[in-house]
Amino acid sequence: MKRKWLGILICLTLLTGCWDTRQFKDIKLVLAIGFDQNEDGGVTETVSIPTVRRSTEGPANETVQVLTTEGKTPREARDHTDQMIANTFDPSKAKVILMGEELAKNSIQPIFDQFYRNPNNNLNAYIAVVEGKAEDAIRISPPNDPGISKYVSGLLEGQINATHSTGENIEVLHGELLEPGIDFAVPLLKVDKEQNLLNFEGLALFHNDAYSGEFIPNHQTTLLMLLEGIRGKVASFTIKVTDEEENAIRNYLTFRVMRNIQDMKVKVENNQVKVDINVKMKVRVVEYPRNHLTSKKTIIDLNEKLSELLTEQSEEIIAVIQEANSDVFQVGRNVQSYHPDYWKKVNWEEEFPNITIKPTIEVDIVQYGVIS
Amino acid sequence: MGFLRKLLGNRDRIEDTSNKNQGQQPNQPSSKKLSENVEYLLNEFKRTDDLKIRAMNNGQAVLMYFEPLVDQEKIQQNIFNPLEMGHVEHISEIPNARSSENLEEMIPTLLRGHAIYMEDGSSTITRFNVTSVFNRNVEEPQNEKIVRGSHDGFIENLMINLNLIRKKIEHRDLVVKYFKVGKKTNTNIAIVYMDGIADPEIVQKLEKRIKSISVDMIQSPGYLEEFIEDNPYSPFPQMLNTERPDRVVANIMEGRIALMAEGSPTALIAPSTFFMFYQASDDYNARWYTGTFVRLVRLASFIIAIGMPAFYIAVISFHYEVLPDELLLPVKSSINEIAYPPILEALIMVVIIELIRESGIRLPSPVGQTIGIVGGLVIGDAVVRAGLVSNLMVIVVALTAIASFVVPSNELSTTLRLMTFPLIILAGTFGFLGIVFGFLFLTVHLTRLESFGVPYFAPVAPLNINDLKDTFVRLPLFMMKKRPKDAHPLQEKAMGESREWVQHEQDNNKN
Repeated sequence: MKRKWLGILICLTLLTGCWDTRQFKDIKLVLAIGFDQNEDGGVTETVSIPTVRRSTEGPANETVQVLTTEGKTPREARDHTDQMIANTFDPSKAKVILMGEELAKNSIQPIFDQFYRNPNNNLNAYIAVVEGKAEDAIRISPPNDPGISKYVSGLLEGQINATHSTGENIEVLHGELLEPGIDFAVPLLKVDKEQNLLNFEGLALFHNDAYSGEFIPNHQTTLLMLLEGIRGKVASFTIKVTDEEENAIRNYLTFRVMRNIQDMKVKVENNQVKVDINVKMKVRVVEYPRNHLTSKKTIIDLNEKLSELLTEQSEEIIAVIQEANSDVFQVGRNVQSYHPDYWKKVNWEEEFPNITIKPTIEVDIVQYGVIS
Repeated sequence: MGFLRKLLGNRDRIEDTSNKNQGQQPNQPSSKKLSENVEYLLNEFKRTDDLKIRAMNNGQAVLMYFEPLVDQEKIQQNIFNPLEMGHVEHISEIPNARSSENLEEMIPTLLRGHAIYMEDGSSTITRFNVTSVFNRNVEEPQNEKIVRGSHDGFIENLMINLNLIRKKIEHRDLVVKYFKVGKKTNTNIAIVYMDGIADPEIVQKLEKRIKSISVDMIQSPGYLEEFIEDNPYSPFPQMLNTERPDRVVANIMEGRIALMAEGSPTALIAPSTFFMFYQASDDYNARWYTGTFVRLVRLASFIIAIGMPAFYIAVISFHYEVLPDELLLPVKSSINEIAYPPILEALIMVVIIELIRESGIRLPSPVGQTIGIVGGLVIGDAVVRAGLVSNLMVIVVALTAIASFVVPSNELSTTLRLMTFPLIILAGTFGFLGIVFGFLFLTVHLTRLESFGVPYFAPVAPLNINDLKDTFVRLPLFMMKKRPKDAHPLQEKAMGESREWVQHEQDNNKN
């Protein structure tokens, strides 16, 4: 009996071998993927595959191969890619997924379906929309960074730190794609062919799973983030506070937000949704050549001025959002949970552009540097 | 002696302790004829040539001894000098002589290196202790060096070893019990324990196990260990091996029993627990922060030593998703061109390290160093340049080897290196799942293992919070007032209030 069990054990460990191994050395890592729509309604997939060849001495030299294939579905396009490369295509470490503008305007859910089905996929991959074609973005070779994936992910990470973007990744996106009453904004990149670089244009506003065509330009994205109650490591504004000075630079004030308290109240009154977004910021002035800010009155005046200007800008942003019908503040979700009767009565998609959203921003200068 | 005998009478006569076992030995009364006695002994010793017979008194008496075992100086000093000086009339009157009339008793006596004196016309045999002893110094054991603390070590002489222990525990409760094991070698075995602290049940268990050994030869405690340990099929040593008197003394004071044998500097400690192998004398000599830190490092080395190659293999052949993004390309570039699957790579490297280690031990030390350089530098570097093994694998295997040497006990160190192999195979076939199952089996085994009826994995399983003070960490000594429970000490309290002066001084300062 003992011998029999021993035999079974040996068979199990030795004969089964390594049937489910996925040898790291036998795969082709795909770190950046771009999807575009082609003329037939299918998908064009562009992948960047880095290959590192280590010489026995000295640094490894890295080459990046970019491949573009077409298919009726993303998965078919991938199979076509697989047919063109040595070893197997493996997107499980993809860092960046880019979508062409046209494809994004159509629908992005079918693109991401494959990523949710395979547990190996990297859910932290950043998502961005590219003005024009994603292929062009993948094909640029940034001069300083080793690969497009590192470049784009670094770029997007920088935007998150500077409070320009929420850092939309595949995992976060999943809920937002399917849930009614929640929409999202994805970084919008533009290819700068002359300098061989990408440029962060702003946040592309999505409605359901399609790009609305409207975006918040990059000088307003910080404010949008603060309105949503999100602050990265740094959030800074440069605002023109006066026209009195001759020297143009002296008209501007730059401040950093040190603390940001956001409060959103959703009320339903007379079958009309009213939203108040209050943002209180404590800020530190980092640049204001005009004044040393030592008098209390100047500060109080400035506080008022800044609050007023920022509230105006917020109203502009909200107008764009409502036009795009992109519920990035997740008002719909709020209405659904706290006013379910009203939610059932109305068609939120039609309702959202008509609701009243009133932003109020209060700026409070608490520090102005070591100048005295 | 004679006066004492008269005084007490024959009934209450005090006997030599060495005569204690007489009853078990066969009795062969000596004859009055000298030639018959000599003939009997010669026959018993198969007429071996080194049994020296020195005729005296014109052949009327003989002095017999084993030439290699005795010290000629001592014969001169103990036997002839008193005669020559005229202190005594007759050899049997020499004060350090003892007499007997049992020839059979003379056999072990002669083998112990004593000389016997027999006379024609008398059945009395007189014997003298003239054993020659060759001892090395009680220097620090090579395999258990420490930085601070006592630097003596056991040697091959049981008496000196016991002397080292007695010197460290000057107490009436310290008990030594002798056993003779090995039918042909007659090796002297001693167990040492503190009566009143050590659990008598465990002492009895140990005695019974030692007595039931029936072999011709006993080489060393390591040899003995296999006969008396609970589970000889376990890869883990169930008795602690040590050559350090301070370690033995500390364990005896915890209520454990030390087992020592003539001819070997190693003492075995029973019952042992897994975590005892990770305690070194240094921990207690250094400040407790340092002791704790070093001990944590040592315990981490356990995980590294058995799990590191397995983890690496599992990552690069099953779960490379867990690699951080920044490491992806460096790792990929280093393994991309390797011809073999990682599991083979690892097995090759582990075997190579074992080869280097084993050859290093056996070779004389100047050559051993050469082997170290050839093995470490040449093979390590060349193998990577040739593209046979990735440099990451070399790092992993080298780290594993270093980690396995961190354990203060050589015994457990070899076990750890052995345990690497099943885990490598499991990781190579099942990935993380295999490692989890491997560790599961390991934990189950450790938990079930017993050493002399005492749980081996104590105080973790069964959990004893109080004893954890000296397990993963080493808290200040004054906080460890109780002996660890795992050895079942009869007397739990090991110390009373030792720092009450703090309170006194504070009170004084107030006044």
